[in-house]
Amino acid sequence: MANYFNTLPLREQLNQLGVCEFMSNDEFLDGVDALKGKKIVIVGCGAQGLNQGLNLRDSGLDVSYALRKEAIEEKRASWKNATDNNFNVGTYEELIPGADLVINLTPDKQHTSVVSAVMPLMKQGATLSYSHGFNIVEEGMQIRKDLTVIMVAPKSPGSEVRAEYLRGFGVPTLIAVHPENDPEGKGLEQAKAYCVGTGGHRAGVLRSSFVAEVKSDLMGEQTILCGLLQTGSILSFDKMIEKGIDPGYASKLVQYGVEVITEALKHGGVTGMMDRLSNPAKIKAFRISEELKTIMRPLFQKHQDDIMSGEFSRIMMEDWANGDANLLKWRAETGETAFEKTPAGDVKIGDQEYFDNYTLMAAFIKAGVELAFETMVEAGIKPESAYYESLHETPLIANTIARKKLFEMNRVISDTAEYGCYLFDQACKPLLADFMKTVDTDLVGKNFNEGKDGAVDNQELVEVNEALRSHPVEQVGTVLRKAMTAMKAIKTA
Amino acid sequence: MTLLNIEDLSVHYGLKTVLRHVSFTVHQGEGWVIRGVSGSGKTTLARAIAGPDKYTGGLNISYDTRSNLPAKTLFVESWYRFTNLEGDRNFYYQQRYNHQQRRDTVTIARELELYGQTYALDHTRLQALITALDYDRVLDEQLFEISSGEHKKLQLIKALWLRPQLLIIDQPYTGLDVKSRGRLNELLNAYAREGGTLILVSNDTELPACIQHFAVMKNGGFELADAALVFEEKTLKPLPEFLKEPPQYTAPTLIDMKQVHVQYGDKQVLKDIHWQVNAGERWLLQGHNGSGKSTLLSLITGDHPQAYANDIKLFGVQRGAGESIWDIKKRIGLISPELHWYFDANATVLQSLASGFFDSNGLYRQLRYMQKQQLNELLKFLDLYDVKDELLTTLPLGKQRLALLGRTIIKNPQLLVLDEPCQGLDQQQTQYFNKLVDEISKNGVTIIYVGHFETQLPACITHKLVLQDGRAIENTRQ
Repeated sequence: MANYFNTLPLREQLNQLGVCEFMSNDEFLDGVDALKGKKIVIVGCGAQGLNQGLNLRDSGLDVSYALRKEAIEEKRASWKNATDNNFNVGTYEELIPGADLVINLTPDKQHTSVVSAVMPLMKQGATLSYSHGFNIVEEGMQIRKDLTVIMVAPKSPGSEVRAEYLRGFGVPTLIAVHPENDPEGKGLEQAKAYCVGTGGHRAGVLRSSFVAEVKSDLMGEQTILCGLLQTGSILSFDKMIEKGIDPGYASKLVQYGVEVITEALKHGGVTGMMDRLSNPAKIKAFRISEELKTIMRPLFQKHQDDIMSGEFSRIMMEDWANGDANLLKWRAETGETAFEKTPAGDVKIGDQEYFDNYTLMAAFIKAGVELAFETMVEAGIKPESAYYESLHETPLIANTIARKKLFEMNRVISDTAEYGCYLFDQACKPLLADFMKTVDTDLVGKNFNEGKDGAVDNQELVEVNEALRSHPVEQVGTVLRKAMTAMKAIKTA
Repeated sequence: MTLLNIEDLSVHYGLKTVLRHVSFTVHQGEGWVIRGVSGSGKTTLARAIAGPDKYTGGLNISYDTRSNLPAKTLFVESWYRFTNLEGDRNFYYQQRYNHQQRRDTVTIARELELYGQTYALDHTRLQALITALDYDRVLDEQLFEISSGEHKKLQLIKALWLRPQLLIIDQPYTGLDVKSRGRLNELLNAYAREGGTLILVSNDTELPACIQHFAVMKNGGFELADAALVFEEKTLKPLPEFLKEPPQYTAPTLIDMKQVHVQYGDKQVLKDIHWQVNAGERWLLQGHNGSGKSTLLSLITGDHPQAYANDIKLFGVQRGAGESIWDIKKRIGLISPELHWYFDANATVLQSLASGFFDSNGLYRQLRYMQKQQLNELLKFLDLYDVKDELLTTLPLGKQRLALLGRTIIKNPQLLVLDEPCQGLDQQQTQYFNKLVDEISKNGVTIIYVGHFETQLPACITHKLVLQDGRAIENTRQ
């Protein structure tokens, strides 16, 4: 199988990267009609599989689960998830031939084997759905020409997909139709109906392409989402220990700080996050984030280049073939860092204290979000796609760090994201070594405003506020966030 | 000896003053009850005593160093949020019916074990508490699977096991059935005999004998009172016109259940339920804590996945025939303690009421002109108009509940499911609400009302279903 993207002429590469339309509500007036009465078979019953299935059934659709024979015989978790909720469960052989829509919700790494097993059983003219395009775009999986191939990707963890649906809302969702596999021209209608079935249409739907989804998703997850959060957390913790801050306090500040700080990002973008800082702290954070962007830009560009050329997938798939040797080694190393091994202290840190005492993290996040966004857009990805894969997802990942630190983050995210995260982290730390020498406890560990009189220069403040608000990620974000009204506030520790 | 001394205590939330110049003294071994209408400041006072809320004035607690009881103050909140193993509090109320993350929180038994370890408590005393509150049968369940009444009991068991020198309980009887209330009073008396000092925040009248001191909060101020509880009866304003319209029925039988079974693993929650509810009937649904009431209702409201495996017809349509849960929900107005517990924390009072038009938890859509008109009428009718733009969660519990009651009737649905709607309301509000239900019922709406106390029910009830251990033991016309 050859990398699909690399087989395309430049014109078509740009064309597919540029598919990006934020869909308006009236595109969904047909509801679930396009799938009404059709047999939907979901392959895999983990968090996404189960919760999407529950939503689809509650929207009046006919859902069953196809599991591997061993999973059924050994009554594995996936079998229990499906049967406990009264779904019809059967083997691939039993259910796939009757399916009108097969939804593949297994982990990326299994896609080649799952799709190879499922495809020959699918009936003429049926539809195959993915929630991530890696298998099609990077591995170059070829799908039978009579089949329609779509993607529906809710941009949230499975449990959230369910919770938001039951609230009467939904989670932002990305949909796509693979241009090589839309023989009957029904792909988009079915993807929209699927999206209504999971509730996604209420929270904003972005029509994308398999190519744009993969190239932006990989970039976001390995740079700002996981990579920089990991690097920033470890460097911040180490700095505080070096400067004699209480380790329990340092550990708690880092573990929960990203969540509290990015909660502001979720509601008000980079501007909203920076506005939580005092004026002098905001100016300082702005200045160092500019410095950080200059230092890290070449690294962000290298990641984007390797993703576009297929180099990243090539080396990662080599590691898959090698039994995940590198991944497992790096995962173990992360478990050994001082931050990971120091439990959070039993101290109360107020909401505002996370901003005042962890100004450095706000600067890291601003730099990372803007760099990831800028780099993606330079590479031909549209701003809306770039927004979802940078700013939008940052709070979701930060939430996993608050739960159980970096180990948890790396456990929850996909293997693909985890692999890219380690690559980024290893390259980024040495790049930032000189910068970190200039950082003191006013930026991380102690209140930035302590001992300062709070005065700022009017013109300087106006200039900084203007620069924050006029960044393209803020402009596109303002529009997209309006569609995601009523985002739930996360309770923080 | 003096245990608690309060002098000129005031508390401000933002720009609002919620407690004004409170002064009083509690001696060791005394039993107090603090009463007051919703919003009078009684919970704020309790929280101030227990800390760590900010206040001005003097507040001193001097523990008895010779006492066998731990030198601690414990505040049992009227509402309690639990977290899963990963510290996540973002649950949703239907989650206990969706079976996946069954091992996400700890079991009750484990929770109690951890609690005992933390405070080095004597395990021999625990069993007596569990038996007294009839709590054995939930010990193996997950925290998020138990009902609101069972959560309350867990908090009470922990408090009485710890036996702090000063124990403050906000709304101790909320969610408890008659039997449990009696047992709780016995336990509180026993605690008092051991030298414990007790402050209850409650407007209930069946108090334990150890309560000898009475106080009432009025508009943030504190006054001593006598045992008799006097509340003015509140008169009903004229019903908004839209609520006088008869609901549009789509089928003569709203609910038709045949041989309904629900089982989790080895645990049977509902057994062989046959139940028919016809248009215009007004049912009372009763049963002890954990008897299956909430599960039964969740089958009706579209919140339970096992509805697909049972023979249930709702509004004339067989479940699983291709209807969506939103088709079902649009015909029902629902309120329950769980719905309230998990309600959108970012919604204003107006948004909360308005969300009833769309059956969503929080408001995500635009309102039409007529809807806005109805909303304003209803807000005025419920005396909530002046607070319509405040966040629901910042109101006192009683007012929050009233707003959610408004949410159930805003669209004038065919069926009202009122699952313990008066939980957390004081006597006056309960009376007022029941009168309201009676008034609304005149338009012919069908009602399922869950309530514990026969004395505080709407008069309009026509039928009764009683559950015991998942079985229907009474299914009659009144």
